[in-house]
Amino acid sequence: MVERLKNYIGGEWVEAGTSQWTPVHNPATCELLAECPESDAQDVDRAVAAARAAFDEWRSTPVLERAQFMHHFKNLVEDRFDDLSEVVVRENGKTLDEARGEVRRGIESIDFGIGVPFLMRNDGVEDISSGIDETTVRQPVGVFAAITPFNFPFMVPIWFLPTAITCGNTFILKPSPQTPLSMQLTCELIDELDIPEGVVNLVHGGVTSAHAIMEHPGVSGVSFVGSSPVAKIIYETCTRNGKRVQAQGGAKNYIAVMPDADMEASVKNVLGAAYGCAGQRCLAAAVAVGVGDAYDQLRDELVKQVAGLRVGYGLDETTQMGTVVSAQARERIVNMIGEGEREGARISLDGRELLVEGYEDGMFVGPTILEDVTPDMSVAQEEIFGPVLSLMRADSFDEAVDLINRSNYGNAASIFTSSGAHAREFKYRVNAGNIGVNIGVAAPSASFPFGGQKDSFFGDLHGQGMDSIDFFTDRKVVIERWFAG
Amino acid sequence: MTALNTFGAIMTHAIELETALAAFHERAGNSAQAVACDKRRRKMMRIRREAVLEITLEAIEGLDSDDYVLELGDTSEAGQQRAAATAARFYREVAPGINVRQARRALERAAREHASQLEGVGR
Repeated sequence: MVERLKNYIGGEWVEAGTSQWTPVHNPATCELLAECPESDAQDVDRAVAAARAAFDEWRSTPVLERAQFMHHFKNLVEDRFDDLSEVVVRENGKTLDEARGEVRRGIESIDFGIGVPFLMRNDGVEDISSGIDETTVRQPVGVFAAITPFNFPFMVPIWFLPTAITCGNTFILKPSPQTPLSMQLTCELIDELDIPEGVVNLVHGGVTSAHAIMEHPGVSGVSFVGSSPVAKIIYETCTRNGKRVQAQGGAKNYIAVMPDADMEASVKNVLGAAYGCAGQRCLAAAVAVGVGDAYDQLRDELVKQVAGLRVGYGLDETTQMGTVVSAQARERIVNMIGEGEREGARISLDGRELLVEGYEDGMFVGPTILEDVTPDMSVAQEEIFGPVLSLMRADSFDEAVDLINRSNYGNAASIFTSSGAHAREFKYRVNAGNIGVNIGVAAPSASFPFGGQKDSFFGDLHGQGMDSIDFFTDRKVVIERWFAG
Repeated sequence: MTALNTFGAIMTHAIELETALAAFHERAGNSAQAVACDKRRRKMMRIRREAVLEITLEAIEGLDSDDYVLELGDTSEAGQQRAAATAARFYREVAPGINVRQARRALERAAREHASQLEGVGR
C-alpha cells in the first residue's frame, strides 16, 4: 500500500480533511512513491491557528536559542544528507550530483539562519535631540508561509524557513504536490528538534490550499517561487489581502558569448547552465547569443560537447542529465520544440525521441539545440523549462544587449568574454536581477539576495540575504527621554 | 566499464577504493594503513557532501573505473605496493578534472599519501 502523506500541524502528523489525492511518481521509473493530499481551507486554517498560538512563546524565546535550533537542524540535515539527496532524485528526476548540490545550497541557507542574531541587530543615535535617544529594533511579524515549486523541492523551502523562524516568526510550508517528499522528510527532522509545537507547519496540496493561505487573515506574509503567471496572481492576491509578498517567477535567461571568449571553457559552462537539472530551473540558460564570429564556433563546440551528455536515471552516478518532472512537462517541452521548428528554427540536436534503456517509460527529453532562432519566435520569448537551448545571432555587443533587454523576463543573464570593458557594460546595461560574467548559472549565495526583475519577480524584497531579514522583520523606532528625578 | 564522468562518480569511486583498501590492509595485517584508508574514506565522503557546487556539475571526460581496478588477492608487500600504485595513479589522474579547489586538494593529497606508502613498504 502506497503511503498517504499527512500534514504536520502543531507538532503532530494529522490527516488532511480531503478525499482528493495527487499521485507522486518517480519520473524515471514511473514508480508510485506516495499520494499527496489536496488540503483544503480548513486544513490551512488549522495550520494558521497552530502557528499563531505558537507565535508569542516563540518570539520571546531568546534569538540565540532560536539560532541554536538551527545548529541542531543543520546537524540533522548533514546526518541525513545522503537520504535527502536520494529523495530529491526520486521525486524530481535530477541527478545525484545535482541533488547533493541542492541539499548543500539549502544548508547554506540554514547557515545564514544561524547568523540571524547578528543580522537582527539594529542602530540607534544618542541625543538625537537634547536628552532624547532614538533607536530601531527589529521585531518578528507573525505567521509567514511559503508556497514552493517542484524543481528544487529541498532548497527553495529552505531559502525561507530558517530565516523566517530564527527571526521569531512561525511558519507554514506548502510544497509542490508533485514533489512533497523532501519536505516530508525535512519536517520529520524538524520534529526531532523539539522546537515548540506550531512553529513549523507543513500543509500539502495544490491550488486550493495556496488560495487559502493567500486569503487567510492570520498569515502576515507569503514567499513564492514558481512560474510568472502564478507569481503575478500570488502577488496580486496577497497584496489585496494586506500581506507582505515576495513572488519569484519564471525566466528566459540569455547568455551572450563574445568572439574573445575562451570557447571551450565557455561552452562547458554554458552546457551545464542549459542542461543542468534538465533545464528545469529559473536560472537555466535558455538562449545563447553568439556575437559576430562567435556564433559558428559556439554552435560547433556546443553540438560536439552536448552530444556526449549521458542521459539517464539520476541515482546512477554516471548520469549527467536526468528526467523532466512529469508526463505533462515532457509533452509541453516536446510541443514547444515542434513550435520552434514550425516557426523556422533549425534543430541541430533533437531530444524528443530519446529512449533510455531500462527506463523506456521515463520522462526523458534529451538535450536539444535549436539554431537560427529569431526574437519573434515563441522559443525565444516563452519559458520552455526543459533541456532546450536556442541559439541566436547578434552582429554586435550592443545588439546582444538589446536582444536580452527586449525579453519580458529579467531573472538572469550572463556574458562570456575576456574583455573587462564588455563585462562592465553588460553588468551596467542588462536588465536582469542576477548577472554572470563567465558564469553560466548566476546563482546568488544565501547571504546575497536572489535578484529578479520585470516579469521574473513581483514584490519589493527578494529572497535570501539582508532582503530576507527585512522581509521577515518589522523595524520599530523607539524615541525615548527619561526625566531626571 | 563505468565512466568516471561526474564529480559524484569520481568521489564514489574514491570512497569504494578506500573501503576496499582498508579491508585489504586489515587482511594483510597492516593496521596502520587500514586506519589511514578508513580516514581517507571518511574524508572523501565529506568532500562528496560538501564540495558539490554548481561549478562541479560540468561534465568530466576521459576517465573510466576499469583503468583503476585494484588487485586485492595478494596481501604480500609486493601486492600492497601494486594496490598503492593503482590508488596513487587514480587520484593523480582524476584530480585535474575536478574544478573545486577543496576537492582537488583532497584528491592530490590522497595521491601523495598512497605514493608515500609505496615508498615506505619494504623498508
